[in-house]
Amino acid sequence: MGGVPASVRYPDHVAAGGNQPPAAELENPIASDSATVADGSRIFSMMNCDGCHGGGATGWVGPSLVDGRWRYGGTDGALFQSIFYGRPRGMPAYGGIMSPGAIWKVIDYIRAQPIPSVVPTQRWTSPETPRRPGRAQTP
Amino acid sequence: MEDIAIGARAASVRFWDSRVPQADTYHYLMRIAFVILLLLLQGTPARDDGQWTMPAKNNAATRYSGLSQITPANARRLHPVWNFSTGVLGGHEGQPLVVGSTMYVVTPFPNVLYAFDLTREGYPLKWKYRPEVNPAAVGIACCDAINRGAVYADGKIIYNLLDGHTVAVDAVTGSEVWKTQIADINQGETTPMAPFVAGNRVIVGPSGGEFGIYGWAKGLDLATGKILWTAHNMGPDSLLLARPGRGRYTADANIGVSTWEGDSWRRGGAPVWGWISYDPQLDLIYFGTGNPGPYNTEQRPGENKWTNSVLARRPGNGTLVWAYQFTPHDSWDFDSNAEMILVDLVVGGRLRKVLVHFDKNGFAYTLDRATGELLVAEPFANVTWAKRINRSTGLPVVDTAKTTGASRGNVTGICPSLEGGKSPASPSSYSPRTGLFYTATNNLCMNFEATPVTRIRGTPYIGATTPYFAGPGGNMGEFIAWDAVRGRRVWGIKEKFPVWSGSVVTAGDVVFFGTLDGWFKAANARTGKELWKFKVGSGVVGAPISFRGPDGKQYIAIYAGIGGDWFLLSGDVRSDDPADVRPPADFAPDLARHTSQGGVVWIFGL
Repeated sequence: MGGVPASVRYPDHVAAGGNQPPAAELENPIASDSATVADGSRIFSMMNCDGCHGGGATGWVGPSLVDGRWRYGGTDGALFQSIFYGRPRGMPAYGGIMSPGAIWKVIDYIRAQPIPSVVPTQRWTSPETPRRPGRAQTP
Repeated sequence: MEDIAIGARAASVRFWDSRVPQADTYHYLMRIAFVILLLLLQGTPARDDGQWTMPAKNNAATRYSGLSQITPANARRLHPVWNFSTGVLGGHEGQPLVVGSTMYVVTPFPNVLYAFDLTREGYPLKWKYRPEVNPAAVGIACCDAINRGAVYADGKIIYNLLDGHTVAVDAVTGSEVWKTQIADINQGETTPMAPFVAGNRVIVGPSGGEFGIYGWAKGLDLATGKILWTAHNMGPDSLLLARPGRGRYTADANIGVSTWEGDSWRRGGAPVWGWISYDPQLDLIYFGTGNPGPYNTEQRPGENKWTNSVLARRPGNGTLVWAYQFTPHDSWDFDSNAEMILVDLVVGGRLRKVLVHFDKNGFAYTLDRATGELLVAEPFANVTWAKRINRSTGLPVVDTAKTTGASRGNVTGICPSLEGGKSPASPSSYSPRTGLFYTATNNLCMNFEATPVTRIRGTPYIGATTPYFAGPGGNMGEFIAWDAVRGRRVWGIKEKFPVWSGSVVTAGDVVFFGTLDGWFKAANARTGKELWKFKVGSGVVGAPISFRGPDGKQYIAIYAGIGGDWFLLSGDVRSDDPADVRPPADFAPDLARHTSQGGVVWIFGL
């Protein structure tokens, strides 16, 4: 497990760079408005967040950030720490290259996205197109 | 080493032994006799040893099994004889190996290696090897934490861990023999490809075309794992290991720099995540390179050599002998990492040593593998980005209305999509008995909206939004048989979803493949008639193999386990993570009706 101290094997406890997050809960000092959300959206794209989390943060190789569900906590403070310090399954630590203000704006942007209501049932009612399977097509 | 080499646009250059002596009738007749003899030999291949010791069965990457017990007449009697859950949910690409009476299976991350004893009832494990793999690699892998398999050589099972290491494990004991760091995840490099062994070299390469890597291949010492050479795919000749002017390498000096703007080649991609083949007589390895980065073309003006290319190198020291670029200045993410299948075919009335390649760009290419000369290039899928490939220049005739870039806005109606007319993850097969190639294809198109993007080390370097839709006919996939001499499709089996599995074709004239909705199928290799199918529990993105068991019977093995790009694209096929719930893909909303994630190894027999 290159780069991870041998004594730390449980991913939830690992912080990128070996730094442990501050114990205190952080609060977002930047009030969310349309300007900060627009800034956050631009930063989300500019810093390549969409490359992993998808356009609109709806999920790609990284998880969706707009489904209302969180692996590492969904408070503003937890989001800040995820971005600042990184997370062990590939989330880089942006603390070195993004200012705290920029991180808070990204959080404002994520917060501004609509969260779909939880519908536990997924049902397929429309018939799929019937087709005779496996017929050879010879030109 | 002084190399015999030909340059980028090889169509006009003649290789010394490809000319028929005009004046020497005796030699001319001898050549014809030799051709006839070779054709006869091709119809009667040597007895198959019943093993599957390298990813594509043999150096030529034909995925052809000489076993013949399973035939079109008896295939309906196929049934499962064994299966095993790998305990891993990621996309199960690649294939098992069978060496002697042991079957070896590598899982996606965390890259467990299982060794099954085929001589005992229930095929219990002899051992399993559980390496430590840095979980940070999962987030650096562009498209699911897959692995494309292992290779056996010199008593060792050799494969790559996702986090940039190659390991060699004793095939008998399961003990680690050596472990070498080959790549750096902090640079965006991961390593899911299957290593290849040529002589005493282990050839490896990285993924990372979406992370702005500086692509390369490396040659490791088979005995020790020591890195003996590193050859980059672009940059100055000294790093390309190219020697223009010496031997016959005729490309312009430093073409890996001059076809880029500034130093954009340093982060230009060209990953090596596909398959490698080898011609021992010519002593050349062949592999494809992936897309240039970023997707926004305006950040990398030029032809971007040698991205989206086939490179022929000496395995001993990595020297570049020839290269051919399929899609110059790629505008659509048309990686060329698909397999290069080495066969001898009569093209234009002459027996040629050729290489056949199904590119993501939708064209199937037949090249002279000694020189890189383009012989045939015809579309095997629906293509709108180019009108044709000019045979004399080797260049595509591009429809400029389909060229993308940040200033061009949303470019619509590009076919194939960036999933490719065929995915390189779905290796094709070739039967010397039928003379046909068998390949999965995708019938998807896309719109492409590029945006400027910043390179931040270890983060994605993409810059495009590319929604997909089904191509003409509405079926998103088809499994086809292809004639590489005439450049035409012979038969096809249409599928509702894209076909993303590899294939194996056998001496019984049966070809096997799987589907994304979880069927494993057998078809008559001559007619395309579907003979048999079985629901394997999850979508198939792996490649089947055929082997002879210790009981002397022929078996077929395949992985079930949807993933790879379909981990990203299908949306709702995973159920293990309550913190990540996604809606179904808009272009394939029914896929999760038929499959969810989950890795299983299956063996079928008569």
